[in-house]
Amino acid sequence: MKRYSLILLVFSSVLSSPHGYAASRPHYGGTLRIASREVPQTLDPSAQAVSPNLSHQVFETLVKLDERGRPQPLLATSWESEAGSQRWRFLLRGGVNLHDGSLLDASTVTASLRAANPGWKVFAMGEAVMIQTEFANPELPSELALSRNSIIRRAKDGRLSGTGPFMIAQWIPSKHLTLKANDGYWNGRPFLDTIEVEFGKGDREQKMLLDLAKAEVAELAPESIRGARSEGRTIITSQPQELLALVFSADAGSDDEAHARSAMAEFIDSSAINNVVFQGGGEPSAALVPNWVSGYGFIFSSSTGTLRSRQQRLSTQRLSTWTLAYDASDPTERVVAERILLNARDIGINLQLITSGSSTVRLVRIPLPSLTPQLALSELARTLQLPRPKYVSGSVTDLYSAESALLQSHRVVPLVHLRNAVALRPEVHNWHVLTDGDWQLCDVWLWAERP
Amino acid sequence: MSFRRRLLLLFSFTVFVSVAVVTWIVSDMTRHAFDRANDQRTAALVAQFHREFARRGEEVSAKIQAVASTPQAMRMLVAASRPAPDYSTFLDDAQVIAEAQHLDFLEFADDRGVIISSAQWPAKFGYKEPLASSNTPSYPFLKVEETPGGAALGLLAVRTTDRKIFVIGGIRLDKTFLSSLELPSGMRAMLYENLDGGMGTFSSDRLITTGDHLENPQQLAGVIQSVQRTAIDSATAIHWNSGDDETVNASPLTGENHQVLGILLVASSRRAYSDLRTQIRSAALLSASAGLLLAVILSSWVAARITRPVEELARGAHELAAGNWQTQVIVRSNDEIGELAESFNRMTRDLLNQRERLVQAERVAAWRELARRLAHELKNPLFPLQLTVENLLRAREQGKAQFDETFRESAGTLLSEIQNLKTIIARFSDFSKMPQPHFQPVELEQVVEEALKLHQAQLAKAKIEVRRDSSPVSVPPPLPLNESQRPILIAADPDLLHRALSNLIVNAIDAMPEGGALTLRTHQETDSARIQVSDTGQGLSTAECGRLFTPYYTSKPHGTGLGLAIVQSIVSDHGGRISVSSQPGQGTTFIIELPANRDKLSTAQRTHV
Repeated sequence: MKRYSLILLVFSSVLSSPHGYAASRPHYGGTLRIASREVPQTLDPSAQAVSPNLSHQVFETLVKLDERGRPQPLLATSWESEAGSQRWRFLLRGGVNLHDGSLLDASTVTASLRAANPGWKVFAMGEAVMIQTEFANPELPSELALSRNSIIRRAKDGRLSGTGPFMIAQWIPSKHLTLKANDGYWNGRPFLDTIEVEFGKGDREQKMLLDLAKAEVAELAPESIRGARSEGRTIITSQPQELLALVFSADAGSDDEAHARSAMAEFIDSSAINNVVFQGGGEPSAALVPNWVSGYGFIFSSSTGTLRSRQQRLSTQRLSTWTLAYDASDPTERVVAERILLNARDIGINLQLITSGSSTVRLVRIPLPSLTPQLALSELARTLQLPRPKYVSGSVTDLYSAESALLQSHRVVPLVHLRNAVALRPEVHNWHVLTDGDWQLCDVWLWAERP
Repeated sequence: MSFRRRLLLLFSFTVFVSVAVVTWIVSDMTRHAFDRANDQRTAALVAQFHREFARRGEEVSAKIQAVASTPQAMRMLVAASRPAPDYSTFLDDAQVIAEAQHLDFLEFADDRGVIISSAQWPAKFGYKEPLASSNTPSYPFLKVEETPGGAALGLLAVRTTDRKIFVIGGIRLDKTFLSSLELPSGMRAMLYENLDGGMGTFSSDRLITTGDHLENPQQLAGVIQSVQRTAIDSATAIHWNSGDDETVNASPLTGENHQVLGILLVASSRRAYSDLRTQIRSAALLSASAGLLLAVILSSWVAARITRPVEELARGAHELAAGNWQTQVIVRSNDEIGELAESFNRMTRDLLNQRERLVQAERVAAWRELARRLAHELKNPLFPLQLTVENLLRAREQGKAQFDETFRESAGTLLSEIQNLKTIIARFSDFSKMPQPHFQPVELEQVVEEALKLHQAQLAKAKIEVRRDSSPVSVPPPLPLNESQRPILIAADPDLLHRALSNLIVNAIDAMPEGGALTLRTHQETDSARIQVSDTGQGLSTAECGRLFTPYYTSKPHGTGLGLAIVQSIVSDHGGRISVSSQPGQGTTFIIELPANRDKLSTAQRTHV
């Protein structure tokens, strides 16, 4: 008996001793703990309340975009268009199970897409789904990659079932989310057993949780990136994609007001906001769509304090006081709002900061909806309640014209595109961020190096 | 107004004035004492505020000095020394340090005045801070500091490190600062932030109080605007809606350029004074009420002592005037009032005695006059009687024929004189036995006409003109004519009236021996009738007029002095009265006023019918 035990002990020691080998290969199991800044009220992607980073772990779309923004199969294996891109047919992937155990079929997809897009006509055709739009929509496959078009089965008790690599185990709105691995995931079980997300954690709390090893991942604010990096933490950042902008609630009522809006847009020191307030966590921008997505964003000038703006000061003195609304729960937004107040005052515009109620202008942060420029611009316009951009063709020039028209409406003033970032503990391996910022948590695995 | 009432008013007024004066004096002294105490307490509180202000200033200076030595400040110093400094990493440093040092304001600026980090306005990085210069005072000072929420009043201090980094920080003069003052009971401090250097403007939003919210802060506008304009202390009394009164002293708090940046308001409750004043007024009211009650009682007692004898004297005087010569008053005291009553009684007794003596004297005089007149009247007929009888005696000695002739003549003379005597005696007898009038309806005009008709011949003989409807000579004014020409009907005895008028006409004829005019007028009034008899004779003196109706008085050589007495008796028996007015040389006028006697008139008419 003693002999066999000794052999077993030696054998197991041999298996576990080569540390370098163990750290380089994936390990199943473990719980990944994430400290998030968000405070989502719901997980439903159609409500856009939760970050797509998390919702995509549970819910999938028919199509996904690759690094260049091109549609790739996900729950749909192929698609084709008819009638000049007005009618599309998507063939569904077979053998995909929802989290409630049911098989994904065309009726589930049809119900889900109808709920997300009331303007579409969606039909089930065997193992395919037919989508017909009012106008020709060549970007429909890319649009189906939007988070709001995730395929969801909504139970009568309110439970949501998706097809993603993780399924919801516990959900306490605004506070806590537990995801467990979907063993029957059509693309293979994820390495992690569980993901626990704690919401509403501030910068200091995130650092403390990381330092005390009570969280492996912290979702950093853009303004915390520099500090975290200087502390020697492992930081993964995305491309600048979250738009910080000023949005006016209505069109300019007079030429004076339009001039004032134009002057303010020109005189707001977005470079200072990015460099100081956000600690370089983004890129100043005068465009709605990030330059790295559109390729022409640099054309829109973001220079500040021009002579013309100063000369417009006299004409703006006749304006009444504007109210600027911002999110009171975000201290960084408050500083940005106060900076804008200072800049506006320099050119004679009186701003009053408010945190609730109707306002003349509001400060908003909007994630990049899509890697497809046209779709991104349309979704931004829709979210900001701006006129829908009109495209004559799919060319870059056409896109530039559409964005220019939006900006010249004096309804929106882009300020900065901010990066997303996470701070990782050393135990986290194979953390990969897609171009659109999505996390690929199904590929992440945990392994603690022994000291 | 009676003496008693006047006395009561005098007493009440005296009490009221006394109480009012004492109340006013006590209230005024109390108010002055309270104001002095209030001024002292206010001055002490203002001094305490300034001490606290200075102490906090030193505290702020020490903190700013400490901040200037912190590692963060050193790092900023290093960054500022670089050619192209990057201050972005210091964004939150001022906030962190201010929180640690319990400072409301904290800013770091470089030698160009560029804000590196700001606690009160983090977004202000890159902007210029005017205080970051070598001219800034080293001692703490008051300044209006801008924040995103608006301007605020602060106690600031500035320190510099190697003239590369300026640390500007301080505390806000707010409710917390005010709460640190130890206020005596009944006092409170308020602070008005005069942030825009407002002159004559007031905004209740800028008023900082330590206690409850003011119901109507607008009431403080006056004193605040006064300090804004003059920059010197001012005070006012305010009556709040809650009923409390306060004295509010306002003192300016000035900045570096002597601009009024804040106003310290020290309010001292006047509740204690109000309560005391109310007590004084209540006591005064009570005293006045008691005094008035006492005055009523006292005045009643005094009036009873003084006015009752006086009133009795007045009553006695009235009775005496009414003819009660027996009136006497009771002597109640031995004082002046008693002497007055005694004198009154003595006076009435003397008057009564004098009257009796006068009556007796008049009676004696009347008897003497009667005797004189009787002797005079009887002497005239007796002398012819004596001569006639002596003549008869002598004639009997001269012969029978002469005797017979003398006898016949003497007998006639004797009978004539005897008749005279009878007439005289009858006249006296008639006067003594004046008959009572028998009232019957009488037309006054008719009586006058008959009297005139009786003496028509005498009047003509005496060349006297009779006027019935006008009177050129008349003093007093003539009676108005009986223009209505209606008969003046009264109840009277026509014979007695006729007799009275005849006497007056005879007197008038006697008064006008050289002729003249006799005017007779009748006039009817409401309840009476008047007869006016005027002559143009020689007239009478005032003394003669006074004695004219005395029996046996006459101004004529051969009068009996009973004519006018009879006239007065007749008029008096009719219930009327007669008066005379005359002046020497201007004639005489008699006016008889007779009552209509309507009661007797109706009775007489029935009898007459």
